[in-house]
Amino acid sequence: MQSRMTPAAVLSGGLMLGALAFGAAVLPVATAAAAAAAETTLTYSWPRNGGALNPHLYSPNEMTAQSLVYEPLLKYRADGTLEPWLATAWEVSPDGRVYTFTLREGVTFSDGVPFDAAAVKANFDAVLANLERHRWLELAAQIERTEVIDPRTFRLTLKGAYYPTLYDLALVRPFRFLSPAAIPAGGSTAEGIVAPIGTGPWRLVEARLGEFDLYARNDRYWGEAPAFDRLLVKVIPDTNARAVAFETGGIDLIYGGDSQISANTFARLQARGDLWTGISAPQATRALAINSGRAPTDDLAVRQAISHAVDKRAIVASVLHDLEPVAETLFAPNVPYADIGLPPHAFDPARAAALLEAAGWIAPKPGAIREKNGLPLRLELCFVGNEPQEKAIAEIIQAQLRVVGIDAALVGEEKSAFQARQKDGSFGMIFNATWGAPYEPHSFVASMRMPSHADYQAQSGLPMKADLDARISAVLVSVDEAERQALYTDILTTLHQQAVYLPISYLTSVAVARPTIENVTFGATRNEIPLHTIRPAAR
Amino acid sequence: MLRYILGRLLALPFILLGVSLVVFLLLRLGRGDPAVDYLRLSQIPPTDEAVAAARVMLGLDRPLPEQFLTWLWNALHLDFGQSFVNRRPVLDELLYYLPATLQLGAAALAVTLVVSVPLGIWAARHRDRLPDQIVRGIAFLGVSVPNFWLGFLLVLLFSVWLGWLPPMGRDGATSLLMPAFAAAFMSLSINARMLRASMLETAGQRHVLYARLRGLSERRVVGGHVLRNALLPIVTAVGMHIGELIGGTLVIENIFGWPGVGRYAVSAIYNRDYPVIQCFTLLMTLIFVLCNLVVDILYAWLDPRIRLKGEAPS
Repeated sequence: MQSRMTPAAVLSGGLMLGALAFGAAVLPVATAAAAAAAETTLTYSWPRNGGALNPHLYSPNEMTAQSLVYEPLLKYRADGTLEPWLATAWEVSPDGRVYTFTLREGVTFSDGVPFDAAAVKANFDAVLANLERHRWLELAAQIERTEVIDPRTFRLTLKGAYYPTLYDLALVRPFRFLSPAAIPAGGSTAEGIVAPIGTGPWRLVEARLGEFDLYARNDRYWGEAPAFDRLLVKVIPDTNARAVAFETGGIDLIYGGDSQISANTFARLQARGDLWTGISAPQATRALAINSGRAPTDDLAVRQAISHAVDKRAIVASVLHDLEPVAETLFAPNVPYADIGLPPHAFDPARAAALLEAAGWIAPKPGAIREKNGLPLRLELCFVGNEPQEKAIAEIIQAQLRVVGIDAALVGEEKSAFQARQKDGSFGMIFNATWGAPYEPHSFVASMRMPSHADYQAQSGLPMKADLDARISAVLVSVDEAERQALYTDILTTLHQQAVYLPISYLTSVAVARPTIENVTFGATRNEIPLHTIRPAAR
Repeated sequence: MLRYILGRLLALPFILLGVSLVVFLLLRLGRGDPAVDYLRLSQIPPTDEAVAAARVMLGLDRPLPEQFLTWLWNALHLDFGQSFVNRRPVLDELLYYLPATLQLGAAALAVTLVVSVPLGIWAARHRDRLPDQIVRGIAFLGVSVPNFWLGFLLVLLFSVWLGWLPPMGRDGATSLLMPAFAAAFMSLSINARMLRASMLETAGQRHVLYARLRGLSERRVVGGHVLRNALLPIVTAVGMHIGELIGGTLVIENIFGWPGVGRYAVSAIYNRDYPVIQCFTLLMTLIFVLCNLVVDILYAWLDPRIRLKGEAPS
C-alpha cells in the first residue's frame, strides 16, 4: 500500500475540486431570464417560490403568486366595498340564501378555454370535493348547491343566510378559477392540477426551485394587459439581502409588509430621494390583547389604565419610523361597518393613575409598583422573541406602564411557543394582529367565539361574554343591512369600552421602486400585489 | 487497515440512529406546534378544527413512539417523508439543493487552501517580523469575525459601493467568489497559523539541519524537507474544515441567496418542518462522519508511523 501520494498531492486534489466548483458555476448562466433579455422584464423578489399554483390549495402555494394567475368573481377594494370582477352583477335572494351571478363576457383562460358558468361550477365543485381542507372557511361549509343557469349565469345556494359570502368569494383562495382543461379527470384538485392556467394578467412560464419563478404576460387577458412582457420573481428569503439586491439593481421593486423590508431600511431608502416610495392604506391592525380572564387585568380599571398609559404616537415614531398610522380602535375606519366614531382612549398617564387609585391599586411609596390586598400590579407581556419590532414596542410599553405603577414582565419566546400562549390564555398582554382585508370584520369577530384564539381568551373574563358571542353569531346570518350595522356597532363598542385590546397602529404595505419603473399601486389586501399596473419609466 | 475501516463503517448506522433519535426528541420537546405553523404559512385562521385537521394531515396526532418507528421504518427504505411546509418528498428536495451546497463547500475549501498555504509559508519564513505580524492580524480577525457579518461587509464593499460582484444568486463564477470567501475566512485563518507553527516545528528538526549541511539550496530545503512534512497536520485540519465549511454555509447561503441545503434547512427550522430537519441533520451527520473517516484513512496512509501503531496489535 506504499504510495507516491504526498500531502501536496492531496492538497492539489482539493484545489482541483475547487476549480471544478468555480467552473461548474460558470455553466448555468444561460437562464431563461437571460434569454428574455430582449423583452422587457419586471424583476421582483419573494422569500419563497410560488409553489404549484393550485388555486384551490394552501401552502406551499403563495397567495401573492396565486393572485397573479387567478381571479375572483368580485374584488375587494381598499375602501371596504366590492368591485365586479369576473362577475359583472349579482343578485341575492331576500332570505339571503341564493346568490345569482352574471359572468363577464369575453373572458378566456390563458389556454384559450372560455370562462363560463360551466367553468365556474367545475371550480366550485373541485373545491367542495375537498371540503375538509376548507371547512375553516364558513362559506365552504355553507354551500348547498352550485348550478349553471345558462352560459353567463351561475347560481350558488346556501344552507342558511351568511352575509359575508361575497367577501369570502373575494379571497385569494380557494374560490378562484382554474381552466377546466387543467382540472384533473375526476374533477378534484385536491391531489394536484394539470397546469397552472387562470384568467389573470400573468401566466407561469418557468419555476426554478430556490432561485426564481418566471411569468409572461397573458396575451388573452380581458383587462388592461401588463406593460412588461415578463415578470421575474427572484427567491430571496433574507430582508437585508433583498435590500442589497434592490440597491445593486438586482430587483426593480420591494413591496410588502415588514417581512419584506425593515422599517429602518425603508426610511433610509426613502431618504435617498431618487427612488419612488409609497405606503398603503391601513390593511390590518397591530394590536395587543389584554386578558380579562386573569388577575390583575380582570379589573376593568387596570385595562382602561393600560389604554391611557401607553403613548402610541411615540411608538409609531420611534420604532415604526412613522410608516404606520396610529390606531385608536381595533379595526381601521376603512373596514366595513367599523367607522362608528368610537372615542379614542387618549394618552393620559395622570388619568391612568387616577383610575388605578380609584380602583384601590395603591403604591406603598411614591414610584413603587401598585398593590391591592397585598397583590402587586404585575402582568406578563408576551411577544415573539426574534421579532425586533415587537420587542422594541414591548420595551416601550413596559417603560410607560412602569410610570403609572404597573409592572410588566417581558416574555419573549419563539413563534410556536408564543402561539401556544395565545391559544391557552397564559398571558397578561399579548401581541395579536387582526387578519386584514377581506377577513375583517366578519371572519375576525367570528373567531372571537373560539377558545383557541387569544381574542376569546382575552374576552373570557367579560361579564357580557356570552351575550357578545350571541351577537357575533347573529351578525353573520343577518340579512338586513341596518340590523347588521347595529349589531356591529354594539359588538365593537363593547370591546372598545371594555378595553380588551390595545391597538397600536394600522399595518400597511410599503413599496420602493427603482427609477426604471413607474405607476406602482397598492392592492387592497396584503396578499394581492397589482404588478400588472407597473410600467417601464418613460425616459 | 481494512479492519479499521470496516469497524468505523459498522459504527455509522448506530451513530445515525442515535442522532435521529436525539433530534426527533429534541424537536418535540419544544412548546410549539408545527400544525399551527403550517396554518400560519397557509394563512388559514388557526381554529381548533383547522389545527386538528392539520395535525392529522401531518401525522402528528399519533403517539410519539409510533411516529418515530414509522419514520425510522420509512427512513430505512430511504423515504424520509414529505415536508410539512411544501408537501414534497424531503429527500428529493435535499438532493435537489445539495449540489449547490457542495459546490460552495468545494469552492470555500479551495479558497482556504489557496490562501492559507502561501500565508502560512510567508509567516513562517519571516517569523516575528512584519509578514508574520500581518498574518497574525489576519488570523485574529478571521477567528473573531462572524461569517454572516463578514458576508454583509463584503456585499457592502464589492456590490453596493464598487459594483464589481453580484450580491446574490447562483449565476456564474463571480457569484461564487464572495460566499466562498466568507465561508472560508475562518478556516483559512486557522490553517495559516497551523501551517506556520507546523513549519517552525519541522524547521528545527535534525533532517532539516542535515539538509542544510548537505548544502541544498534554501528553496529545496523549505520545499522538499520543511513544507512537505509540515503539511501533514493540514490534511487532518482539512477534514475538520470540510465540516466547518458545510456547516457555515447554513448562514452564508441565506445572506447570499445561494439555493443550497443550508438555506432550505434554516427556513425548515423556522417553520418547525420536522421531516426536513430530521433528514437534514442525518445528511450532515453522514457527511461529517464520512469526511472524518476519509481523512483518518488518508492520514494513516500518508504517515507510516500512525499506520504501524494502528496495525501493531493485529
